[in-house]
Amino acid sequence: MKKFLIFFLLLLLIFNGSEIFAQKKIVLKLGMWPEPTLKSDIEMFEKWKKEFEKKYPNVQVVPATYKYSPDTFVPLAESGNLPTIFETWFTEPQKLIAGGFVKDITNELKKKGWDSLMNPSVKQILSKNNRIYGVPRDAYALGMYLNLELFEKAGLMNPDGTPKYPKTWDELAKFAKIIKDKTGSAGFCLLAKDNAGGWHFTQIAWNFGAKLEIQKDGKWYANLNSPEVVAAMNFVKDLKWKYNVLTDDPTSEDWGSGFEAIATGRAAMYLGAQDAVNQPTQVYGMPLDKLAIVPVPAGPKGHQYSLMGGTPYMFSAKATSDEIMAALNFLEIMGKAPVVTPESLAGMKADAENRVKNGVPVIPSFPAWIAKDWLKAQEEITKQYRNVDMRLYNDYYNWIKKPNVLRPEEPYLTQDMYAELTKVLQAVVTDKNADVKKLLDVANSNLQKMLDMYVNKKK
Amino acid sequence: MFKRHKKDIAGWIIMAPSIILFVFFLWEPLLASVVMSFYSAKGIRLERFVGFQNYIEVVQHPDFKAAFFNTFLYTFWSLVIGFLVPIILAIIINEIIHFKGFFRVSVYLPNVIPGLAVAIMWLYIYRAGKTGLLNILLGKLGFPPQAWLTKSHLVIPLIVLFMTWRSAGATTLIYLARLQGIDPELYEAATIDGAGIWARLKYITLPQIYNLARTLLILQIIFVFQVLYEPLVLTNGGPNNASTTLMLLVYKYAFEKFDYPKAASISVIIALILLLLTTVYNRLVKVNEE
Repeated sequence: MKKFLIFFLLLLLIFNGSEIFAQKKIVLKLGMWPEPTLKSDIEMFEKWKKEFEKKYPNVQVVPATYKYSPDTFVPLAESGNLPTIFETWFTEPQKLIAGGFVKDITNELKKKGWDSLMNPSVKQILSKNNRIYGVPRDAYALGMYLNLELFEKAGLMNPDGTPKYPKTWDELAKFAKIIKDKTGSAGFCLLAKDNAGGWHFTQIAWNFGAKLEIQKDGKWYANLNSPEVVAAMNFVKDLKWKYNVLTDDPTSEDWGSGFEAIATGRAAMYLGAQDAVNQPTQVYGMPLDKLAIVPVPAGPKGHQYSLMGGTPYMFSAKATSDEIMAALNFLEIMGKAPVVTPESLAGMKADAENRVKNGVPVIPSFPAWIAKDWLKAQEEITKQYRNVDMRLYNDYYNWIKKPNVLRPEEPYLTQDMYAELTKVLQAVVTDKNADVKKLLDVANSNLQKMLDMYVNKKK
Repeated sequence: MFKRHKKDIAGWIIMAPSIILFVFFLWEPLLASVVMSFYSAKGIRLERFVGFQNYIEVVQHPDFKAAFFNTFLYTFWSLVIGFLVPIILAIIINEIIHFKGFFRVSVYLPNVIPGLAVAIMWLYIYRAGKTGLLNILLGKLGFPPQAWLTKSHLVIPLIVLFMTWRSAGATTLIYLARLQGIDPELYEAATIDGAGIWARLKYITLPQIYNLARTLLILQIIFVFQVLYEPLVLTNGGPNNASTTLMLLVYKYAFEKFDYPKAASISVIIALILLLLTTVYNRLVKVNEE
């Protein structure tokens, strides 16, 4: 018995001892570590990890692959197992902040001086009450994806190999009709399965001149039944019933299936942003020379906005300040931070190389940071690794650089608003006799009810 | 006194593991969920007592009304389409002489496939356009392709059809077991008295499975009332809420909005409705019997 006790005590000592040693090392759990199947991505991360641990010997980098998903997130967070840093969706930040799942990193960002380098519209998405909770991986601005093979078949190409694409929504309907008649494929892929439907429709409605939420005397009002929204919704209805240019069942189309439709030639045009360019290519095998991104068509009165947002990295609420700093330092090595160092340059290059290897277009990212030297460095690397004909993308990039084109999402209960709009979309694409005004009236009063319940009440 | 308890000990020991599991995995979460429905929370951390606030907000939410009535519609259609199917199947299989084993296995097969896989399979069956399986089959008969799941008045019966296809087999086996337990002498006696097949069915078979059918009916109501993944996969509640259900709302509150208290309050509402339905049903049946 005595022997056993001594043995036990010794064991305890060893364990505690090693724990004391381990405590000295900061543990950085990387949630964005690639999945086991992405071999070349992992190689890239292994290299970054080695470099990082050489530069910061007091930090231990632990791969903790986590692909964000709403049904796994809360258990992981509540049990304290969330990685130090993880990638999430652009729809999530406000929800995660409200739930207290993510860490306020304002102080750490200030220490780095990055708080003033973040693109202000992106910063707004990641902040609450002037505190910042995340850093952007990428930002996005909606444009329109084209399947050039269908454009060729429909005779809609210029002699120089660039597409004749629709500049207005009216033209879009006509182009879509030509494509449908000549190729049998849908001209336009409209989403109506989930909230992404309302998200895309918001983009259309804005260009018809709509404003979906307005503030008056400190209160927020739903504005889903204005003449502009009704016009936009009637246009969508016409796409289905007058022109018949949509895919077979828009109510089964979601964000991913839209890219599949573009890649496989099920549809010729689809709203999408530059950050998703790996979807049709890497995921669905679309050849690089058959893809183009062009500006979103303008509305009847010339409005032509681009809905923008950002894909963020966020941080576990349980992470310490040291761990946050380590995570930010790792972003530097990856080239995702607004600093130009030999390591960050190498990081950007590795990323571009990896894109080339996987058949993903190397095109400029949307400026999530506004640090000038970083932007310039990125531009140069993009140029160096270019694997696409930039004439297929230039109009889009020139357009989003213009003033007053980018527009962040509507501010309050955005997902609920998208849900309401999606319901109306579903009704108009499934019922030829749907009363657009009446449906939008209902959506509007529903959203107003929610605004009163959650937003106006608390002010 | 002690002696009596001593006698029970073995029983308790045998029960202990399941009681512990039940408490831990069923009763405690159940209670926690009821408690949570009266609180506001961040994630699953309760913050403060808010009384019926969550209940008021979920009921006032525009989607609640549609979900509430749809859930009853699902139950209604499941009884219309699905209640008699297993009884008929069981009787037919019971009467079959050759290949009985084959048919018994066949009706049960859909239960063996994982639920989500089956739902996705039916997504292909109902798919709109020329590539949908149902449209291909109907196309051979000269019908134009339809966008099946987009028809708001048809979508619930279509989903129920799929649910029936999936779960009728298991119920059939239960009926079949009961049918085979019927004393064959009853049939022999009836045959001697000159009863035909319909008379035997009416006077022997149906009365013999009446009690079982009664229990299975209420079980079916409870089961269908909690319909979730079928509409989640097939339609996501659409078009325009035509197929949304209370459980789908629970799912959306919990896993899309991370608003667990509201999810909990709808769950409690569902439980109360089922409790009420079951009580009323049992009363009615009892009155009938008396």
